[in-house]
Amino acid sequence: MSALRADAAVAWAIARKDALSELRGRHAAGSTLFFAALVLLLFGFALGPDSRRLAEAAPGLLWLAIVFGGLLTVARLHQLEADDDALDQLARYPVERHAIYAGKALAGLAAMLVLGAVVLPVVVILYGVEVGGAWPALLATLVLGAIGFAAVGTFYAGVTVRMRAREVMLPLLMLPVVAPLLLAAVKATAAALGGDPFGELGAWLQLLAGFDVVMLIAGGLTYGHLLEE
Amino acid sequence: MPQTTIYVAPRTPPPPAVATRELARLFGRDAALAGVSLRVERGRLIALTGPNGAGKTTLLRILATSLRPSFGVAEVDGVDVATHPELVRPRVAYLSHATGLYDDLTAAENLRFAATLLGRPSGTDGVADTLAEVGLALDADRRVRGFSAGMRRRLALGRLLLASPSLVLLDEPHAALDADGMALVDRLLGRWRDAGATVLVASHHADRIHDQADGWARMDAGLLVEVGGEGVAATLPAPALDSAPAPVRAQR
Repeated sequence: MSALRADAAVAWAIARKDALSELRGRHAAGSTLFFAALVLLLFGFALGPDSRRLAEAAPGLLWLAIVFGGLLTVARLHQLEADDDALDQLARYPVERHAIYAGKALAGLAAMLVLGAVVLPVVVILYGVEVGGAWPALLATLVLGAIGFAAVGTFYAGVTVRMRAREVMLPLLMLPVVAPLLLAAVKATAAALGGDPFGELGAWLQLLAGFDVVMLIAGGLTYGHLLEE
Repeated sequence: MPQTTIYVAPRTPPPPAVATRELARLFGRDAALAGVSLRVERGRLIALTGPNGAGKTTLLRILATSLRPSFGVAEVDGVDVATHPELVRPRVAYLSHATGLYDDLTAAENLRFAATLLGRPSGTDGVADTLAEVGLALDADRRVRGFSAGMRRRLALGRLLLASPSLVLLDEPHAALDADGMALVDRLLGRWRDAGATVLVASHHADRIHDQADGWARMDAGLLVEVGGEGVAATLPAPALDSAPAPVRAQR
């Protein structure tokens, strides 16, 4: 129990440190949010003024904006560690490797939830989406999707943080892995917004939850190897 | 009357603080370390000297578990750094070239973060005392981004004080420091030695370290080429003519 408490304290300290750095760090977080909103605006222009067409495309565009913004977010959270070789220092602390992973993933999750909280209302307003009573299902989808994305993103940001071409390699490595998550999240969002006529929402949410569990366990078990040179 | 026989196990000497055998590290085809066999006794202060590219930093990084050896063995207190890094990390404090600080946190926040990861409970983490010790008490609430290189170095030294290591590894500890900062390093070296820790210092300021060091080891081109003083022994590469005795030892 005390070991679990120690791991939780380490994870919390890392997540808190990342959050502080994000909040204070030269408007990087604001740029990501603006970029995600801009993506939605540009897709809106591309699809034209047909409100029905926009509403149909909304679930997919919502998650594309979250993925694009999320890629920047998880990369930046690891870039904090690359500055002045802080990752090397972090790896030398006598703490469990999975606790470090949990801390980084927790920071990633918080950033993804903030991103989702900004992007979702933008989609609703910009694309004229009728949410009605679908908010709980939408929020559940958003949280489960954000957990999965943070779990995978933390791992692959760790893989690429020491690479020279990390900005290119991160999406190349990560996007194929999050494809099932993206599919399930888009389907769940569409089902929630459409009133779930085929009763498929629960199955998509279960798939998202399963994906999250598998990726969190895999990340926790393997992240330590990424810290070694 | 039955006889009782008491067997007394022979006392085994504690393992050395540092022991490496044919330690090598390759970066691509380049050998940063090319077979280093070194032994450092516990509680000694040893200066590690040599020109740039001699392999000093690579040796320290392997001992600090930051780098895995390509070949050979490195042990700290008898524990293999490659196979049991988790047992080595609590024993080692390492000051590297990079300070590993977070620019957007204050000096106090950086140390508090380190204290948490070193398992020191908040409230008794010693952050305020440490900042005073390294001369940064007045800068506690300033973000590190605005610090000079010397101030960052002082803060990184302060982070080492939060740990209780048996082995302290310092890579160019005097770099970027003013006269007061250099005096601080000298004071800390004395303190670690008084606490019984083994200290291995890689430095270009050989004259400054030699005054305090028990022994020294000189490296060149990834090899140990000379050792001297007390508490350090090494197997040196054989000279061109194999007339010299090997291993060459320099011990009390």
